[in-house]
Amino acid sequence: MATEVKLPRLGQGMESGTIVRWLKSEGEQVAKGEPLYELDTDKVTQEVEAEASGVLLKIAVPEGEVEVGRTIAFIGAEGEPVAVEAPAPAPAAPKEEEPVETARAPEREQQSVTNGRVKASPLARRLARERGIDLASVRGTGPEGRIVAEDVERAEVQPVRAPVAAAPSGEVASEPLSNVRKTIARRLTEAWTVPAFTLTVSADMTRANELVARRRELEPDVRVTVTDLLTRVCAQALVRHPGMNVQYTDDALLRFPNANVGIAVAAPQGLVVPVVHNAEQLTLSQIAHVRGDIVSRARDAKLRAEDIEGGTFTISNLGMFDVDQFVAVLNPPQASILAVGAAREQVVPRDGELFVVPLMTMTLTCDHRAVDGATGAEFLKTIKTFLEDPGLAL
Amino acid sequence: MPELSYREAVRDALSTAMRQDDGVFIMGEDIAEMGGSMGVTAGMLDEFGPERVRNTPISEMALAGTAIGAAMQGMRPVAEIMYEDFMTLAAEQVVNQAAKLRYMSGGQLTVPVVFRTQGGAGWSPGAQHAQQLEAWFVHIPGLKVVFASTPEDVRGLLWSSIYDDNPVVFFEHRTLYGIKGDVPEKIEPIPIGKARVHREGEDVTVVATGRLVHESLAAAEEAEKQGVSVEVVDPRTLQPLDEETIVASVKKTNRAVIAHEAVTRMGFGAEVVSVIQYQAFDWLDAPVERVGAKFAPLPFAPVMEQFVVPHKADVLAAIMRTVGRGD
Repeated sequence: MATEVKLPRLGQGMESGTIVRWLKSEGEQVAKGEPLYELDTDKVTQEVEAEASGVLLKIAVPEGEVEVGRTIAFIGAEGEPVAVEAPAPAPAAPKEEEPVETARAPEREQQSVTNGRVKASPLARRLARERGIDLASVRGTGPEGRIVAEDVERAEVQPVRAPVAAAPSGEVASEPLSNVRKTIARRLTEAWTVPAFTLTVSADMTRANELVARRRELEPDVRVTVTDLLTRVCAQALVRHPGMNVQYTDDALLRFPNANVGIAVAAPQGLVVPVVHNAEQLTLSQIAHVRGDIVSRARDAKLRAEDIEGGTFTISNLGMFDVDQFVAVLNPPQASILAVGAAREQVVPRDGELFVVPLMTMTLTCDHRAVDGATGAEFLKTIKTFLEDPGLAL
Repeated sequence: MPELSYREAVRDALSTAMRQDDGVFIMGEDIAEMGGSMGVTAGMLDEFGPERVRNTPISEMALAGTAIGAAMQGMRPVAEIMYEDFMTLAAEQVVNQAAKLRYMSGGQLTVPVVFRTQGGAGWSPGAQHAQQLEAWFVHIPGLKVVFASTPEDVRGLLWSSIYDDNPVVFFEHRTLYGIKGDVPEKIEPIPIGKARVHREGEDVTVVATGRLVHESLAAAEEAEKQGVSVEVVDPRTLQPLDEETIVASVKKTNRAVIAHEAVTRMGFGAEVVSVIQYQAFDWLDAPVERVGAKFAPLPFAPVMEQFVVPHKADVLAAIMRTVGRGD
């Protein structure tokens, strides 16, 4: 009897998913655990593994949106009959892929990109990965348009994206919403209904910057960033202020034992927030390692459901884009989010003297149903103290 | 510091070892009265006599085998193979006997023999007398392979080779015999397996052997004038290879050129490229370049010989390609 391949529930709240493409074709041998198809859920696009070995007898749903539990294919012995009327794919989003492809096309026309593969040196790739730079947006100046390290360095200095080829004048381009886009819209609309307040503070980053620089010197391979230090600092602050590590539900306040810190990442397909789990137990290098991994997978659309689940707090750092300060919208159901701007040299008077110090402005947005103003203020004060004297957070 | 020629430095290592150690002796074709085809052993017959400076018949296999036998009996012979082209005739003894005996006897035998040989283009000796065959021997487990490029290195490395308990194939380059350089007052052994950084630089690493070390240093000077800072590393020992020094250098410069006189294809440089791409993959900013002879027998005609083997200009062109300024 052939095994039915059913659309799995990959995360809490998942009702349906969109099959992007099959990685095996009908009649092909499949081993259990091998990637079988690509699935786009409202959170991530991921490869789903086969749950049985055998021949892929029949693909019932070649692509499109399918509800959880629906039979999408059959795996069995060669020649084994498949007794089904193949259900037609839900008509909702069968065309999902094409327009997305069209929308991406201009990017692919840039130099350095051949057949969808970006030509870049291994060093350039590593630098881009570490600094969170999308190679597709970098212009290569090496032989045959290859992106070399210098190009990535330059891209980092001027993070101005090459203009995407404009639509023909006068025409409005209509692009169907991807699942990720729909999710962003739904969740942030939901966040807007939450009574929230914001608190702003600036921290002197002199010692934090020194620490980050020193760690890079000591461990050039790990490449610790300010975001890593922020993750560490926020995790420690959450442990000290358990009143912040909470979530509001209609009938209970949930208190979390661990600080699972989400990091907002601008991935090509839209905003995603991969999570550094149990960040309070990780050293700075461990955080850097985990962050490097999840951020690069976020950009490659290779996140798994567990990578983005369970966050109790979020950091959104737009410092690299030269933003001075901003207010982040809550990432529901989380109760707070920290919006971080760029560290800038500013003149600060202290004891009647003027000092030039790098000041970084942060704004904390809190769900007032779960957190009171004073609780948030104490928490923010701890973050400031930790950043100004990072030894305290170790 | 005294100044010695490369030729004198080889002779100094041999003579000093023979003076202090009765177990060391030399043998080879025409090495006694004639002083060797390159004059390296000139005068040694007078000092050490025919027992320890032994002329052999024209049979590389016989002389290599004799040297191996003596080594197994506890001597430290240094056999001169007149041209490295003739190593092909000695290969059975070197590859199948010398390289294997310690292993096959479970360590009961050691073979502390050195096969000194020389080669290289530069004075039109033709296709059979100027090849660079180091790649043949670095491929054999059980052999150590040395290729020194300066008087100081050749003396210190020959010393270490004589006192190594394993067979060493010791390559010298014909056109280097006349070059002069400072050497320490007293012989300082140079460890086998340790590269030498001849020149530090930031932009490109050139890993060069033999004559190409000098061509590369000259190319580096030229590149410097054009704003490219070049590091030149001479592995000195090809087997075992000092991967650590090479990889560390490439991790610093992010670009590499491998230069040797032997033909590029299947050459020693290919192994170095493999080491670099594997251990420094994420540090590479350009494909690793190789510089070597064209894949052809060496022509007799001087102009054609020079056309086939690499020179400073070839190294410089490769350096410039790695920084994206090639033709």
